[in-house]
Amino acid sequence: MAVNRGKYIIELENVIAGYIVAPPKLRSIFKTKQIVLRDINFRVGTSERVAIVGRSGSGKSTLLKVILGILKPFSGRVLIHGHDIYRLPWRRRVELLRRIGYVPQDPFKSLNPVLKVKSILKEPLEACGFKGNVDEKIRLIVKLVGLPENVVDMYPEELSGGMRQRVLIARALISEPEVLILDEPTSALDVSIQAQVVNLINEIYERLKLSIITVTHDLAIAQYVADRVVVIDNGRIVEEGSLAEILNNPRSNFMKTVISSYPKLHKLE
Amino acid sequence: MVLAIKAENLKVGFLLEEEVLWAVKGVDLAVEEGTTLCIIGESGCGKSTLASAIAGTLPPYAVTSGKLRIYDRVLINGDVRNYNGVRGRITAYIPQNPGTSLNPFMTIEDHFYYVLKSIFGINRKDSRRIAIEALSRVDLDSSILEKYPHELSGGMQQRVLIALALSTNAKILIADEPTSSIDAYLKFQVVKLIGKLQRELNKTLIVITHDLVTTSTICDDIAIMYAGRIVELGGREDIVLNPRHPYTKMLLEVSPIPGIRKPLKHISGEPPNLGVEITGCPFYERCPYRIEICKQEPQIWEIGEQHTSSCWRAREAPWL
Repeated sequence: MAVNRGKYIIELENVIAGYIVAPPKLRSIFKTKQIVLRDINFRVGTSERVAIVGRSGSGKSTLLKVILGILKPFSGRVLIHGHDIYRLPWRRRVELLRRIGYVPQDPFKSLNPVLKVKSILKEPLEACGFKGNVDEKIRLIVKLVGLPENVVDMYPEELSGGMRQRVLIARALISEPEVLILDEPTSALDVSIQAQVVNLINEIYERLKLSIITVTHDLAIAQYVADRVVVIDNGRIVEEGSLAEILNNPRSNFMKTVISSYPKLHKLE
Repeated sequence: MVLAIKAENLKVGFLLEEEVLWAVKGVDLAVEEGTTLCIIGESGCGKSTLASAIAGTLPPYAVTSGKLRIYDRVLINGDVRNYNGVRGRITAYIPQNPGTSLNPFMTIEDHFYYVLKSIFGINRKDSRRIAIEALSRVDLDSSILEKYPHELSGGMQQRVLIALALSTNAKILIADEPTSSIDAYLKFQVVKLIGKLQRELNKTLIVITHDLVTTSTICDDIAIMYAGRIVELGGREDIVLNPRHPYTKMLLEVSPIPGIRKPLKHISGEPPNLGVEITGCPFYERCPYRIEICKQEPQIWEIGEQHTSSCWRAREAPWL
């Protein structure tokens, strides 16, 4: 499908999104809209690194669902390369969504335990209708994410948390997306291996110059993986800018509260 | 000086089908009354098992050796364990995951009633009064007593667990990873709250964590645990500013700090499997400063007053 390669890969215009809820047993009668995202305007450009930060329940995951084509917004437009994905026929929408690679939150629950790594990496290639040499493609992607070659014959339970996260990143990258979305990439990992994953994300960015969207609740991680930070609170974007700007001059009440709760760390520097 | 906790060559393991898997492999520890000790290390280093031994929540298939005293009571003496009258009354445990530690079928009031009735035989009216008082200490009002856990946010659930631990007026609080499953924003608030309560109520506090940066703001002493052993023990300033074990230094370097963009390092490899018998320094395989002598079991070196390290190179400390 021909695409308009404009300045922005992903654009959200005045998006209002949420869920249809109803009391149990009265599901068919009293359906109400529970609005989670309110008037979201959000853009991601080519080779841009953006972090979406906010507390639990602020709407981060709902925003991801809207971008990934899983949740149709109540109103507003979600554009990928200038095409409103929710107004396209299903087949064309899927073609556009293949340009996005997604790394889910928990590496311990996101890999099929009965499949070897090779089969896990093969699945997205088959879904894309890849015609080339599958084994060679898998070998290259495994090398790219810094895993040993013999990992392809292992089951997920044989891998450490850091290695599982690398497999998830490999699975997202194997179909050569233009945007990589990482949902809390370090929250389930031990502090000693968080840095491995953060450094890997940055290495991948340097090599492939993808656009990277990282969802996190940890500002300390956001500063390493993003040039622009978007702060979401209560379903609205309340602040946007570089982390230094936000830390030095917070405008929203939410960020002011967050920054005031940080301890004085000068002794640890 | 009154010692609240004293462990002598304490070993704790778990009985498997044919062998014992030792998670804590000979810990010597002395905690003064009214102080805060942070036990820090990666997952699988034996921190939570040590906390369970102190709190009295070891499973029946646990195996122990050595000695553990709480005040004048001997809780563990070899393989004999006696926690009668200690659990809840002297030690209180704040569990790791607030989301799964509260019973989803019980209101918050029922949680307090269940705890206080089982320990002190208190009736519902008195338990409600004590619950309101404990909740007010953690900045929650009495309206949440009628709520179920799922109606509370993660931070509120964590506060309820702290209030439950406070309600029995135990002298020793053991908080197992109190910040691991909550938002980064709430981390500092919860840690500050725990520190404030410890000072106001003069409790002895043990905090188990792998987050050195967050918790080091409230502790008096820090014990660094690796492969079931305490590899470095000392005051907060000693450990943070003058680490004498390479593992401590590396733990300090891996923690990201908001607003300070230093090169982020990681610790290569993984902690040794608990079932593996280790000869020599347990950190040998991962240590960038290892030398030939490290293949031998390191002794414990005294670096300063109440600052010890079990590293052969602790005195020269090439990583400083």
